[in-house]
Amino acid sequence: MSTTATRTVPVDGIGPVEVTITEYGSGQPFLLLHGGAGPASVAGFAELFAAARDVRVVVPTHPGFGGTPRPEALGSISGLAALYNTLLDRQDLADVTVIGNSIGGWITAEIALLQSPRVSGIVLIDAVGIEVPGHPVADFFALTMDQVFARSFHNPEKFRVDPATLPPAAQAVAASNRAAIAAYAGASMTDPSLAGRLATLEIPTLVLWGDSDQIVDADYGRAYAAAIPMARFQLLAATGHSPQLETPDLVLHAIWDSADTDFSTFSR
Amino acid sequence: MPKTAVTRVTHSCHLIEIGGRTFLTDPWFSTRPGYYQGEPIAVGISDLPRLDGVLISHDHYDHCDLAAFAAFRDRSVPLFVAETVVDPARRHGFHNVTALQPWEEAEVGGVTITATPAKHGVYEVTFVLRSGPEAVYFAGDTMLIPELGEIPQRLGHISLALLPTNGLHIRPANNMQVVMNAQEAAELTAILKPELAIPHHYAFTKGFLGDRLITSSDKNPLHYQDASRDLAPKPAFASSSPASEWSYDHDRQRGVPDREPAPWKPAGRHLRPEPPPDDRRPGRQARPGRRLPRTHRRTGPRCAPRTGLRHLHRV
Repeated sequence: MSTTATRTVPVDGIGPVEVTITEYGSGQPFLLLHGGAGPASVAGFAELFAAARDVRVVVPTHPGFGGTPRPEALGSISGLAALYNTLLDRQDLADVTVIGNSIGGWITAEIALLQSPRVSGIVLIDAVGIEVPGHPVADFFALTMDQVFARSFHNPEKFRVDPATLPPAAQAVAASNRAAIAAYAGASMTDPSLAGRLATLEIPTLVLWGDSDQIVDADYGRAYAAAIPMARFQLLAATGHSPQLETPDLVLHAIWDSADTDFSTFSR
Repeated sequence: MPKTAVTRVTHSCHLIEIGGRTFLTDPWFSTRPGYYQGEPIAVGISDLPRLDGVLISHDHYDHCDLAAFAAFRDRSVPLFVAETVVDPARRHGFHNVTALQPWEEAEVGGVTITATPAKHGVYEVTFVLRSGPEAVYFAGDTMLIPELGEIPQRLGHISLALLPTNGLHIRPANNMQVVMNAQEAAELTAILKPELAIPHHYAFTKGFLGDRLITSSDKNPLHYQDASRDLAPKPAFASSSPASEWSYDHDRQRGVPDREPAPWKPAGRHLRPEPPPDDRRPGRQARPGRRLPRTHRRTGPRCAPRTGLRHLHRV
């Protein structure tokens, strides 16, 4: 059960931004941010989470994804962070845990750096954004879609789609998603200043990583966790770059039951 | 004799009246990511009465929110603090700052302030305020340590005790305990034998994820009362929702509530970040027209309403 609405959010320095938001359930609030794979890549997890627990999961579509408009002035990860920070204020949400996958994880890290008291914790799932020597983010724009699927999933056969077989409307959405990724994250999908800035964070942080991720590998994930004081790192077995798609139950358990996790068994 | 009374503001922040003087403990008036009162802030900074002194037990943000408290109208108010708080207090413009080591004392308007020992994750002291036969012990968020047993012997009878009860543990630090728990607070109550005991430092939360990854704590203050039943049958216990006020009636030798209970409704009010000063929404601060606590009425005209005492049980 979900509801979808389009809101206009005035963002300082950017202006009014129209953003489509789908909400699932009610209760403890979570902001769930999708990556380059678009809002469909987190919808199933949001539904599962809201059905399993008393939670309100707020899922925005980053402007430009899914065929939605993107204002010219909104063209950076920090701009998206400002957008969602303002959204939390306007929704008057408190004790919000922000969860982000891939580029959504990068946005999540930038939201944490804005230090809103409304955001009480963050979960980074196979996030991009930092530079880690020897562990580059795979060059998404240089890969074929077949290669992207192969690198993104532990078991790609379950998820592989031949873009050529998609209807024209879906192909247009895929093309606009690609353009949005380029506008927000650039080709490198990193910000050389991010890792250093994360050292100032004091926010409770959980870093979840698929052990088969070949977009950003597990050592990159360990470096991400190491960049954030007191962050906890947990590897997810038989999982690729989109754990919420491939092993959603593992993700749900890792978040909800994180108090019971023996993190000493997970090496950094 | 002037009455002895306590109004809990939030967490470990209290207004204490004793000997006709008014003191504030461990100011905390804002929120940060991962630091939430878990209960309302009953009195805003601008609604505080005139203060004769401020006691600060240690320099953790949730006890020593000087960045917010610097907005208090009078930064010449005397501060009595753990020595680690002296520099931060001066940096925030407070210029009447006195560090007290354990068992050192100071005096304000006939009220003696004595620092008492403590043990926590960082350096801390606790405090006893005395005026004649009346004494209030403010325990900050200390662990229970043997030195606290010396308080009655060295400083005389304690009539009112303000004790932390959440037994906070820090998960990443080998699950180290840094605050006394309900059982230990009951043990200390049995040693101090106050007429009235009020728990604090229990609603605190680090939020959904922080309570799972960083801290664990007991958020139910009634566990303290339960633990005390056998150990410390003497005092009355107050389950201490913020804005509640208790006074101790020396002649009748028991703690008495000042008002009948008027349950506080938490819905939607806790965990809200403070709005910016120019955007005070109605309901966040003092609502005019409500009856004001007697303590406040005596000391100043502008103050927050009290919403009532929830429980006061004779054990």
